[in-house]
Amino acid sequence: MNRTRAVLRKTAWSFFTIVFVVVLNFFLFRVLPGDPARAGIRDPRLNKDAIEVIRVRFGLDKPIINCFDSLNPVKVGNCAVNPLETQFFIYAKNLIQGELGISYHANRPVVDILGERLWNTILLIGVGQILSIILGAAFGVFAAWKARTSLEYTAVGISLVAWSLPTFWLAILLLFWGSTMGLPVAGKATPGMSSLPLLQQWGDIAKHMLLPTLTYTIIYMGEYTLIMRSSLLDVLSEDYILSARAKGLNTVQILRDHALKNAMLPLVTVIAINLGFTVAGVIQIESVFSWPGLGSAIYEAVIRRDFPVLQGAFLLIAITVILANLLADLTYTYLDPRVTVD
Amino acid sequence: MQTTLQSSTTFSRPESGFTVFWRAFRKSRTGLVGLIMLAIAIFVALFAPAIAPYENAAATSVGIADIYQPPSAAHILGTDDAGQDVFTNFIFGARVSLTVGFFAAFISIFIGGIFGLVAGFFGGRWETFLMRLTDVMLVIPDLPLTVVIVALTKPSLMNIIFVIGILGWTTTARVVRSQTLAVKSRKFVLRARAIGAGRLHILTRHVLPLVMPILVVQAVLAISLAILNESTLSFIGLGDPTAPSWGQMLNFAFGRGAMSVGAWWALVVPGFGIVWVVLSLTLLGQGLEQVLNPRLDTHHLMPGRPKVGTEAQAAHPARDIILDVRNISIHYINEGKPPARAVENVSLSLREGDLLGLVGESGCGKTTLMLSLLNLLPAAGQVVNGNVYYKGRDLTAMNEDEINNIRWSRISIIFQGAMNALNPVRTVGDQIAEAILKHNPAFPKNKVPERVAELLDLVGIASAHSDHFPHQYSGGMRQRAMIAMALACNPDVVIADEPTTALDVMIQAQILELLDELRKKLGLSVIFVTHDLGVVAELCDRVLVMYGGVTAEYAGVDTIYNEPKHPYTQELLKAFPDLTKPKKKLSSIPGYPPRLDDLPAGCRFAPRCPAVFDRCQMEEPGLHVLKNDHHVGCHLAEGSK
Amino acid sequence: MKKPANAKFLETRGLKKYFDAGKRWIFSPNIKKVHAVDGVSLTLRRSEVLALVGESGCGKTTLGLMLMGLEEPTDGTIFFEGRDITHLADHERKDLRRKIQMVFQDPYESLNPTQTVKEIISEPLHVHNIGESQQERDERVIKALEDAGLKPADTYLTRFPHELSGGQRQRVVIAAALVLEPEIIVADEPVSMLDVSIRAEVINLLAELRISRQIAVIFITHDLGSVGFFADRVAVMYLGRIVEIGTMLDVLERPQHPYTKALLSVIPVPNPRLRHERIILKGETPNPVEIPPGCRFHPRCPVAFDACRLSDPPMTTVSKTHQAACLLMPK
Repeated sequence: MNRTRAVLRKTAWSFFTIVFVVVLNFFLFRVLPGDPARAGIRDPRLNKDAIEVIRVRFGLDKPIINCFDSLNPVKVGNCAVNPLETQFFIYAKNLIQGELGISYHANRPVVDILGERLWNTILLIGVGQILSIILGAAFGVFAAWKARTSLEYTAVGISLVAWSLPTFWLAILLLFWGSTMGLPVAGKATPGMSSLPLLQQWGDIAKHMLLPTLTYTIIYMGEYTLIMRSSLLDVLSEDYILSARAKGLNTVQILRDHALKNAMLPLVTVIAINLGFTVAGVIQIESVFSWPGLGSAIYEAVIRRDFPVLQGAFLLIAITVILANLLADLTYTYLDPRVTVD
Repeated sequence: MQTTLQSSTTFSRPESGFTVFWRAFRKSRTGLVGLIMLAIAIFVALFAPAIAPYENAAATSVGIADIYQPPSAAHILGTDDAGQDVFTNFIFGARVSLTVGFFAAFISIFIGGIFGLVAGFFGGRWETFLMRLTDVMLVIPDLPLTVVIVALTKPSLMNIIFVIGILGWTTTARVVRSQTLAVKSRKFVLRARAIGAGRLHILTRHVLPLVMPILVVQAVLAISLAILNESTLSFIGLGDPTAPSWGQMLNFAFGRGAMSVGAWWALVVPGFGIVWVVLSLTLLGQGLEQVLNPRLDTHHLMPGRPKVGTEAQAAHPARDIILDVRNISIHYINEGKPPARAVENVSLSLREGDLLGLVGESGCGKTTLMLSLLNLLPAAGQVVNGNVYYKGRDLTAMNEDEINNIRWSRISIIFQGAMNALNPVRTVGDQIAEAILKHNPAFPKNKVPERVAELLDLVGIASAHSDHFPHQYSGGMRQRAMIAMALACNPDVVIADEPTTALDVMIQAQILELLDELRKKLGLSVIFVTHDLGVVAELCDRVLVMYGGVTAEYAGVDTIYNEPKHPYTQELLKAFPDLTKPKKKLSSIPGYPPRLDDLPAGCRFAPRCPAVFDRCQMEEPGLHVLKNDHHVGCHLAEGSK
Repeated sequence: MKKPANAKFLETRGLKKYFDAGKRWIFSPNIKKVHAVDGVSLTLRRSEVLALVGESGCGKTTLGLMLMGLEEPTDGTIFFEGRDITHLADHERKDLRRKIQMVFQDPYESLNPTQTVKEIISEPLHVHNIGESQQERDERVIKALEDAGLKPADTYLTRFPHELSGGQRQRVVIAAALVLEPEIIVADEPVSMLDVSIRAEVINLLAELRISRQIAVIFITHDLGSVGFFADRVAVMYLGRIVEIGTMLDVLERPQHPYTKALLSVIPVPNPRLRHERIILKGETPNPVEIPPGCRFHPRCPVAFDACRLSDPPMTTVSKTHQAACLLMPK
């Protein structure tokens, strides 16, 4: 009963957050001054017709929002127009139909550009997360178990350094090293591989993923090690560990049956909170290794000032993170019997 | 179960909060290293023009031959894509990174701190609104948002600082709010309200001083995050072109072919700067964290200290003695300090079917003594003398595997505070079943639930509660469940360590009655540890009174209560309210129990003893045996038979 | 200023406090209530010690907080010297705060770890703007410390709470209350966290203050045994109600309510020769969300009969000083 409520409430909040992001995404690109289409229509060098073409092409001839008297005390927007013809409505409608506008640079629908990149990013984050969680948790467990030994100090030291590395810098260093080792350092696949058998294609992709994933794993593993260690240290000084020892359980049994699950709980929370930050890492990794994902899409869009792509990529990333966050949150609810609604 | 080592009666000179803090911080090597590294970085940034060999961003000369020159005497770290001196740019880059870090962090901490304080302290609608906003902002990935905003505005240093600062408040708001809530719910805030203090007074005098340290740690982390974010922005080309930062140096080098010409110096050097500063802040944050939340140095899985002084002693001759503790001494070893003599030369023997009361105030070593019986001492604890015989076998000489077979199956413990002694994420039934299966691997699996139900029934819990988690139980039920668990393997000896402390009188009476009943029904031998002389009077056969780690008095229950010989026992009995004589003034024992790491020279009770004389100050009294197996650790008992 | 010693000093009438059980949720229109205090009427006389006894969950702490004005009563009234003080705004209550002070259960928790003893004890003076000069305030602080038994006072002034023992901390809390020269001290389980050998000295201190400073004490405890020697009157609470109230001897020697009898019987007696029959109640105090119908004690009462399920017994007078609420009492 309580748990169902918690799940419902969390899902509702995620939905609300997505709506918030959608609205934010709309207004950011209209309120802030940088969009070239909007800058363009104020450019004195353009003649009236050219401006009109741009305005119609990007829908800028429509009012931004309609004015709702009751909701809008400062009277922003034009009250005379049909709410269905505002830019916001069109944006929302297009979004629901899966349209994100047209890229300035490629002159293609943004959705087409980003669709395939989304999966590449999810692949990279997925593999990187799983590896860094498993390795980080394992190192964390050893560091806590062997507390106050050189093993612990080494693990903590390495983790602190890893945590302090700028992702793109580590990526560059690994790129350097990878190129001397003859590893593929750019893209997702060698050109011309698509004709080969599937297994070989996958092998090729795996090779290309090696360095990006390694970067990702090193960067996030350190943090997971530190959290697992401190969380396990807390658990191991709890009284129920002493009672487990008094019950005659040996060390392996205590770690497995009494400590790990309890210590994993804070880690799950951190993983959820971290997802937002991991995206930051992905942008950098994908840019350095030219991995065709959402991160490099952002990088390229920034360089080319291709704002529809930037807007679309931001939206996709934000929604993905929100949903992944929800997933982690629900996992926590499932793992911890103490969770109830407040 | 806690092993209180000191009763904190230190007498020290007055100190300011800062001195106290600094002394604790100085011990953290991580923190110190971080502080020094940060100081170096700040020094470099402040005196950049004096340190750098060239003027900022000045090209030495612009010819193709000057680009990406390897390190040389003129350019100790080489030149970059524009022929500029890498070392010079590196030194000046520190200014940009640190400026962004400090200012952006200041904005984040300011906003987050205020939001967190307001939400936590005032509560109500504001809290709901601010925390919802925080929750929403927390899941929106902040770097992409920063990128979008900076891309849409002018990438000036000012903008970058503001955007990073304004988007970085969420974690701080969360942390500050939960700390504020925690402080607000503490009793001293209630007391401040009781003396009539207003909200502003409570906020500034009571809440803020306890939130401030957390804010400092958050600030340190926020600076490092801001520096990382700035470098990322610069790296993807969104840096301020007029303020070349380390991130931008990397952007230019990476984007303009440093990789292909192998100009590693142009790539490695700026990155090193970022790592240096961020690492220094991380270490500093760790150090501060250690001071604010000092963690126990030890945990329950750390290997214990091997026993010393293993020579066997003669076990008690009587046959019906099931557990015989001979002259046991336990020290806590603190590096660099004299050991704390927690238990010294204590002997006791438990007859089959008897209930032995072990009485003493907090910190008298009673819990330490009980833990040592099953080799469960914390890592710092060490048995330095004596033996524990269970049916003639020396438990102190056993290795971990051997003692694991004795634990719970022969001797089990009912811990104080069952809430903490039960694993919160496993059902009660599951935890009882675990004990059964551990010691009877052959037990038929399908019979286990039946046995668990039987055990729960024995302690008066309906078997339907078997699937519940400890937090769904009331305090009394948890203690009953703990008893059921202790009986799971039909042990001979049960050690009950303050099983009724913190329970209401009626529940306490219920648990005592249950224990007494079970002991008679199952023929258990019980050691009952308590600080309350009244509790054991009704149950015990023999009583051992401990004071400051030594035996004060050890005798049959009637002797202890009606003919006590040790002044401590006598005084303790007088301190007890006696309902048969109401209106009689209670007598109290002046002073406080001794600290185990700072014991008086002679008798440990001497400073508080009403019957103290010269000899007590110099000589520790031995244990004198009077008639009826009555042991008294007092000089006054010498010679009296 | 002299007032008759037996005048009604502090009085409550039908005092109630209900909390919401759980958070309000959109789909549950009728939120359940925790009946923490459910109609308490009592009086406290000048320089009297009234013990409030009951198990955890009986509402004794909530009652104390309401008397302090730290919880808003749901219903009922509180009079202090004839004046209705039930609902006062903070500024109206400020003068009252000087007269009613509180001592809490856990002396470590109730002291701010970042303040020195001097700051802790002078804080009330600053809040109330008492004292013309710093010197006068210092004198008051020293006097309060010495009255609380911390002598010589100046060795304690610069210490922090963590440098004191449990008993000393509780004395500091008491000194911080004394510095305002209160007329009433509400002491919520002031000794239950202390070691037995220390308990007596804190209780003795309260008993002395009552005589030397004419302070009335409301002594909240779960342990009927600890009130014996110094309470004038004892009120026994069960599930938000007072079930028996009378002078100390009335309650300890002629208990009327089966709950009082049971509580008395389980007090540990430190003498094995006085082992006696104990009345051990089954089960635990019910959840104050769902109060049993009829007499609220009947599900655990060893002598309950049919009528107890149906009618809620009113307070019945036993003697001029002694009342109890049980259907079995002689009329």
